[in-house]
Amino acid sequence: MQVQLKKDNEYVPHIAKLIKKTQMTEKETLFEFMFEEPEIRDLFTYNPGQFVQVSIFGIGEAPFSISSTPTRKGVIELGIRKTGDVTEAIHALEVGARSGIRGPYGNGFPMNKMKGHNLLFVAGGIGLVPLRSVINYVADRRDDYGKVTIFYGACLPEERVFVDEIEKVWPNIPDFEVHQTVDECHTTWQGNVGVVTTLFSVCAVDSANTMALICGPPVMYKFVVRDLLKLGFARDEILLSLERRMKCGIGKCAHCQVGHKLTCMDGPVFTYFEAERLMESI
Amino acid sequence: MRYVKISKENTYKFLEHLKATGALYAPQKISDRFYDFCAISDVHDVEFEYDRTIRPPRRFFHLPDEKMFNFDMTRHELTPVKTQAEHIILFGVHSCDIVGLRIMDAEFLDEQKDSYYETRRKKGIIIGLSCLPDEYCFCNVRRIEFVDAGFDLFFHELPDGFLVRVGTVTGHKLVDPHPELFEEVSADDTKNMELFEEKRSSMFSIYGNWDNLRYFLELRMDHPMYDRESEICLGCGNCTLTCPTCRCYDVKDLPAINQVNGERVRFWDSCQFRSHGLVAGDHNFRATKKDRFFNRYHCKNAYCPETTTSYCVGCGRCTYFCPAEINFKRNLMEIAGYRGAV
Repeated sequence: MQVQLKKDNEYVPHIAKLIKKTQMTEKETLFEFMFEEPEIRDLFTYNPGQFVQVSIFGIGEAPFSISSTPTRKGVIELGIRKTGDVTEAIHALEVGARSGIRGPYGNGFPMNKMKGHNLLFVAGGIGLVPLRSVINYVADRRDDYGKVTIFYGACLPEERVFVDEIEKVWPNIPDFEVHQTVDECHTTWQGNVGVVTTLFSVCAVDSANTMALICGPPVMYKFVVRDLLKLGFARDEILLSLERRMKCGIGKCAHCQVGHKLTCMDGPVFTYFEAERLMESI
Repeated sequence: MRYVKISKENTYKFLEHLKATGALYAPQKISDRFYDFCAISDVHDVEFEYDRTIRPPRRFFHLPDEKMFNFDMTRHELTPVKTQAEHIILFGVHSCDIVGLRIMDAEFLDEQKDSYYETRRKKGIIIGLSCLPDEYCFCNVRRIEFVDAGFDLFFHELPDGFLVRVGTVTGHKLVDPHPELFEEVSADDTKNMELFEEKRSSMFSIYGNWDNLRYFLELRMDHPMYDRESEICLGCGNCTLTCPTCRCYDVKDLPAINQVNGERVRFWDSCQFRSHGLVAGDHNFRATKKDRFFNRYHCKNAYCPETTTSYCVGCGRCTYFCPAEINFKRNLMEIAGYRGAV
């Protein structure tokens, strides 16, 4: 089986093998892919917040945020919810199965610009998938960034993803603080109950020299942004990762268009300054 | 720029030569009301005085449907499709459509080139043709009624032929082998071009400059026009399919019946369709017809950095071909408060 490097046609994916599947919740599983060709495996790098297009030939192609960090080379981790044709087919893959991957696409988070800043992460549900890439990147380059505060909200405790890292790994990293909440009360849940913005009253956030990174369901953005503005965050200190139906990933098909911006090229990470003017963006 | 003159009779001879160079497409009447760019067998069928073609010229480079590559689902082998490229000569392209192609170039031939488009576009020869506006045209307020780039040759109507502007080296190569067909431009010819331009300018139904339109659109996002007009809209997508600068496409895998082979294809899509803004989990970013209607108004009036003009080139197709008779020009004028005939 030999697939040539086809750099002249960006639409043709490279073949990658599924090397590990870890079920996280009823609907979400973490998939670890590795490119078959060693050359591509070496060349492939990305910026936290970027996405790839995954193909299941015969079913279709869909965009997924990369959940791993480029500081840990070798595999691409994708946290995927079973929700449509392509994701169902990915969930049905067995370890060792092949699929197509092309990318990375999009801008990702401004890792250089964020250097020296404190970081506040606000994630809802599987919005943690792209933010996990940034969090682990920061963990691996701890000296480059200031204090890290993570707010994570989910509907139910059993719907939380990356629970091991949230509860065991990240709280033990120097200057990392993690707060969780769930929307609905649950007998086994000892923590905070309420939407993710209720964590602003649980943990005092200082907006000085801090950048906020937000990703979650569409309904979340408006409320989180409102609270951040109240806390004194400037519009360009609030970074939002937006979701759209990217078909091409390279600014051609225009499915991910928001106002006059393309999520796949100008985003998916936008500052609130940019996103505020875009109709239907948040 | 180089200027030459050609008589009407010699124009037909020139079209014969073009036919020998590659696939020649030019406007033809296809029904009572409609014209289209058609493959030309008899050069006398070419319509020199047409209003607008139902299908925009972008379809020659960004095909309505296109096979992207073949795949083998069991062995996971991919075979790219070799894009066929013969010379495509478009004769009789109006300035609005020339800017439309320049906008398509800006989007498809940027740093992330679209290889399918690029292969065809490189083989494309664009020959412009002057025109007189009807009540649907508003290219003048879009600043594109007279183009200075994006064509190999441009034919300006004279009483006894055409004054031809040679825009590119390719254009020279089309003219040079046929000295018997072309003559020098005389002072009278230039005067006649001036008179044509004067007549043309006087025929537009509106005047001015719509560069501030996008700001009025942003300032009046909740204008009642959107409710009123989107209520009438059928959501058929004619406006986007006929638009010379719409480029949305969707992608699909088509497995063969043997469940082994298959092909990935892409095909034109429309932001007016419900599926356009649909994402996983049944969330739709443009769930209502009004959302989709609104999106088109804002998308078309954003600015293309390469041409420094709006994506709408004022060709009038979206109004002319709208089965619900929604008047794009009039609706925009209403939002911005522009005066003039609609």
